[in-house]
Amino acid sequence: MNPLLQILLEDAFWSAIAATGFAILFNVPPRALPGCALAAACGHALRSWVMQLGLPIEPATLLAATTIGFLGFWFARKFQSPTAIFTVPAVIPMVPGTFAFRAMLGILAITNMGVFGSTPVLVEAEVNVVKTGLILAALAGGIIAPRLLFRRQRPVV
Amino acid sequence: MEQSHPPGIFPAHDAAHKRPLAYHELRDIIDLSLWAGQMLLQYGATSQRVEESVHRIGTALGCDWLDILVSPNVITITASSGSEFRTKLRRVVSLGVDLGKVTAINDLSRRINNGELDRFQTRTELEQIDQMPRSYNRWLVVVMVGLACAAFSRLFGGDWIIFGITFGAAAVAMFLRQTLHRLYFNPLLVVVACAFVAGGLASTAGLFNLSDQPETALAAAVLLLVPGVPLINAAQDLIRGHLVTGITRGVTGLLISLAIALGLLLAISLTGVSL
Repeated sequence: MNPLLQILLEDAFWSAIAATGFAILFNVPPRALPGCALAAACGHALRSWVMQLGLPIEPATLLAATTIGFLGFWFARKFQSPTAIFTVPAVIPMVPGTFAFRAMLGILAITNMGVFGSTPVLVEAEVNVVKTGLILAALAGGIIAPRLLFRRQRPVV
Repeated sequence: MEQSHPPGIFPAHDAAHKRPLAYHELRDIIDLSLWAGQMLLQYGATSQRVEESVHRIGTALGCDWLDILVSPNVITITASSGSEFRTKLRRVVSLGVDLGKVTAINDLSRRINNGELDRFQTRTELEQIDQMPRSYNRWLVVVMVGLACAAFSRLFGGDWIIFGITFGAAAVAMFLRQTLHRLYFNPLLVVVACAFVAGGLASTAGLFNLSDQPETALAAAVLLLVPGVPLINAAQDLIRGHLVTGITRGVTGLLISLAIALGLLLAISLTGVSL
């Protein structure tokens, strides 16, 4: 088999497992679990693929999250349920948890360093903070993209 | 959710065709819509969804209009009908994410909007939703969350030994988290303790030289604690212009991340494994 395809399939498989695990933690109704897994698999594999083509992680995440957003929008219409029960567990594998706590670890680490020793550590922490923020914005913007684009209405409340 | 009217035009049942409600009816409706809104907010819905659902339930049950103020831990509603109005607020405590309940309230709001339920049936339904048990038992959650974190270790490029260690560490941490939550420990303290335990158990890969990439297990085993829902909801709220709830949820997420880092740091400094 094509090695790239194999990598992407594995990627899709494991992200589907991760999303299903978190969907169960969030008590998503059982009938919605296959949708979560499918959306997560498509989204994460797509992100890995475009990142291999050379796209940075932030735009790749936006693309993947938008795909998940539209899939979730479609599933939600089919099941007559909130979009969030599909999209939120499906983007969990892409939440920048590692970046977030690496940033925190960096900030905590400077307590024992001199002014000069801490500079590179702080810069690295700052990079992680910015990456976390951008990826989160991409995730949220992506999953509400269908609503922002196609569900415009005068505010009800 | 499915409103068939074109943008900018409100459906007929919102207009002046309604009978003015008596004071006690208004009290009943504001109570029901507040209850629904409270459950939505405490089980992890975005501010936009809370506002829309509460407004829809209240107007479908007979009010002319509802004004809703969603604050991070309070919902305030003013319901008006004819020349009468009532205002009530309710404190909301975050109780962890339960998208099953959010789905149930979404269904309920659609049925009310279709005119299938009156005030009394709505109250019965809300009681049922409030008492609804979770769909998955404790042990299934422990196993699946362990498996989810182990899947993350594969995504980070870990081998099968790392997979096994991550599974064990994450499952134990999840079990501990459930136990500590039931004992009403402070949520941040729970996160620190769980990150410490997960980090400590995941360090075994490095301590006993079981694998050449021990840091993968450490990074993956604490991912069950990552505040995914607060952070994603924060960003969604901010994009939609709900700045106060957005910022508060963001700070909640930040504090939880900090708690994870603290617990992990404790574990690393104790075992001497580097991340």
